[in-house]
Amino acid sequence: MESPEDLTKDVEVEDGKTKLRKWLNMNFRIEMTDGRVLIGVFLCTDRDANVILGACSEYLKGSEGEAEEPRVLGLVMVPGRHIVSIQIDDTTPPQKYYYDE
Amino acid sequence: MGDNDDYYDGDGTMESLATSPEVTYNWVDITSDFFKHIQDLQLGELLHDGHLFGLFEAMSAIEMMDPKMDAGMLCNRGNPKPLNFQQAVAAGKLKIDDLDPSELIGIIDATKACIVSWLEGHSLAQTVFTNLYLHQPHNITNKTLKAYCIAIYKLLDCIRDCINKAQVFEEEDFQPMGYGYRLGSNPQTGNTYDANLEVTEQKCIAMLREQEEELNKKARSGEDEANILWSALAARIRFTRMFYQALLLITKRDSQSGVDCVALLNGCTEMMKVIIKTAGKGTQPVENSDSPNPMGFEPMINQRLLPPTFPRYTRIKPRAEALQYFDELVTRLRHAWKITSCTNFHTALDFFMEFSRQRACILSRSALQLLYLSPSPATTASMAQSAMNGPVGQPRPQHAFVEILRESVKSFVNPPALTAKSPVLSTPQAREFVENFLARCVRPFAVLLQVCGHNRARQRDKLALLLDEFAALQEEAESVDAVLSGAAGTGPRACFGTWILYHVLRVMIAYLLSGLELELYSVHEYHYIFWYLYEFLYGWLVSALGRAETLAGEGAKCRDAKRAGAKKQKKRTRPYAREGLMCQVMQNMCGGYYKALVAFKLQGKIRQPQSEFDNEAVRYKHRFAPLSVLTPPQVHYHEFCEMTQPLQYENPVILYLGGCKHFQQARSLLETITTPDQEVSDLLKVAKTNFVVLKLLAGGHKRDSTTPPEFDFSAHRHFPIIKLV
Repeated sequence: MESPEDLTKDVEVEDGKTKLRKWLNMNFRIEMTDGRVLIGVFLCTDRDANVILGACSEYLKGSEGEAEEPRVLGLVMVPGRHIVSIQIDDTTPPQKYYYDE
Repeated sequence: MGDNDDYYDGDGTMESLATSPEVTYNWVDITSDFFKHIQDLQLGELLHDGHLFGLFEAMSAIEMMDPKMDAGMLCNRGNPKPLNFQQAVAAGKLKIDDLDPSELIGIIDATKACIVSWLEGHSLAQTVFTNLYLHQPHNITNKTLKAYCIAIYKLLDCIRDCINKAQVFEEEDFQPMGYGYRLGSNPQTGNTYDANLEVTEQKCIAMLREQEEELNKKARSGEDEANILWSALAARIRFTRMFYQALLLITKRDSQSGVDCVALLNGCTEMMKVIIKTAGKGTQPVENSDSPNPMGFEPMINQRLLPPTFPRYTRIKPRAEALQYFDELVTRLRHAWKITSCTNFHTALDFFMEFSRQRACILSRSALQLLYLSPSPATTASMAQSAMNGPVGQPRPQHAFVEILRESVKSFVNPPALTAKSPVLSTPQAREFVENFLARCVRPFAVLLQVCGHNRARQRDKLALLLDEFAALQEEAESVDAVLSGAAGTGPRACFGTWILYHVLRVMIAYLLSGLELELYSVHEYHYIFWYLYEFLYGWLVSALGRAETLAGEGAKCRDAKRAGAKKQKKRTRPYAREGLMCQVMQNMCGGYYKALVAFKLQGKIRQPQSEFDNEAVRYKHRFAPLSVLTPPQVHYHEFCEMTQPLQYENPVILYLGGCKHFQQARSLLETITTPDQEVSDLLKVAKTNFVVLKLLAGGHKRDSTTPPEFDFSAHRHFPIIKLV
């Protein structure tokens, strides 16, 4: 799954970037400061933890933990300062997200 | 949709998310790792899969928690989740029985405010369907409210049908989306369809009528104060019924029903008077609340139905303004109805343009389209198009619009080819030519009517496109004229050509003038815009009208000569006298502006763009590009330069005096009109003021000032008052 330039790098010294790179194209579940939960494919981030999710759906979490129908949002950017928690899905094999022109 | 009660009650973990059961997740928290790893990134560095995703894609993402982009944010402002119909009824927050008349009046008036907001371009989900009663009208016990809610469904459907048929809306005018609310015959929401709940138009009207009588009975039996409330309610139900019936008539053009649309609309106006007077009797919205009424409305109920990038939160129109809007809407519809008595295409087109000038709302603009041509000019145009593309030799479907156009040509230029027993038509080839030509005219002329229905800002581009189609017609008109003249053995008579030319010129003028109305031109461009109108377009239009009169006269003479002696010389009136006069007025106005502008330029009163950033030739070409049709030939920039060259050496005083004379001339022409309308008096005001201003300038007033003059369009949308500051 790794891109060619990763292979050329020294695998021993796994820095943060390499680890982040491994998470690319995997499903993320991000909880935001206002309580909404976003589930989508991790596409991009930067030093301020601004995260871009593809094919994203929005879930409203009620107080009793009751879940609701999601609202499809598509491509979203979550500013780092609004992120409460990030979870990754380790069941599905990472799938490529193709951006539709 | 919102009130399907199959919400999955989760058990607290996200693995069991109900939406797509086959997908299960195993979430592992990485929050702290993630925030640690991103420290290794440089400031501004993006970590992404470079092959598939880059900065460009990143730019199109919606930013969460940005109130402008994130429509979902509003659902979460700490407000409790909005209750749906059943929940609100169960919680005792929504009465479905034993409503006071004041509560009913409040709900009805608030619903009207929602409808107005919808008609002003907001989505149905954020306006009318924030009314919870409309989510389940059949579950309302109160009969008046139930009948009203069902009628609103039917009314919405009818409005949407009318607007869709007319096809004169753009996204800024109207949102036709229904968001899963089943409008029309079966007022209910969701995926379930229950045929028992079907309500026909007749039944809906009967239900409203029944309620009307019921309420009037109550109004007669109660005491004074209650009386007023019940009759105020009765007026609202009556208005709803009559308005619905009138719109049905307009949309379906069903003349068999025997009800008179005008009478219905007059009734609506009467009822609106009562409704506005009694608006205070209903429950009023709580101050600083977004809900248009204390009971029955949940502004956020449909927020989750909206597409991701759906902007804004919709504010519902204030109730008093909404009632005013309805009152004016009925007046506009009554006015639109007058089109049904315009038998002549020429007067109809004038009516369409005049109607558009008043910047009418989308519903009345659509109604006008439907009232003139059934089903609508838009449909006529597309039908004509498909007929043209059909197999050759197939008989064309006869359309009423062809007859309207035939009449138009006949009354405008009276060509011998359209006279019943004309010898010209004896050759089948000539007849075929004429019929072909008229059939070809259907689409451009129907589109012209349709364009007049669009909002003012959108008309400009559409007019430019239309000129291309007219150019093709001009060619055809010329060959028809040639064939007919040949067949008749007479000299060349450009009957059809003149008729098309007249319309081409009108479209050209409308195109150039719309740039002034929409404030697209810079002041330093004004001089060639007004020059073009003054020197060519209006002059050509005057001569086209003159030619039409001569041709029509000749046609009549030919016939009279044959019927020698019989009914001798019925004095021909000049049908286009007023139009010709108005053209001369406009031509003089434009001349006045043109001369004044050149003088301003010579005196350095107009700021010119720096030459390295500007090219007048390019601007000129761009401004007049759509005018490059067959006839009249476009006047090119180099011609403009040659023709206006001498003026560059003219004394500004002479130019001001020349402009003065034009405005004076315009004024005296306008004063000959015996029945001045608003347009005439507006123009008169502009001409008088500009006359005085130019006179002052000619006398040397502010000669050395380089402060640019102001052009004030408040008195007339095309012709500004010149102001010296």
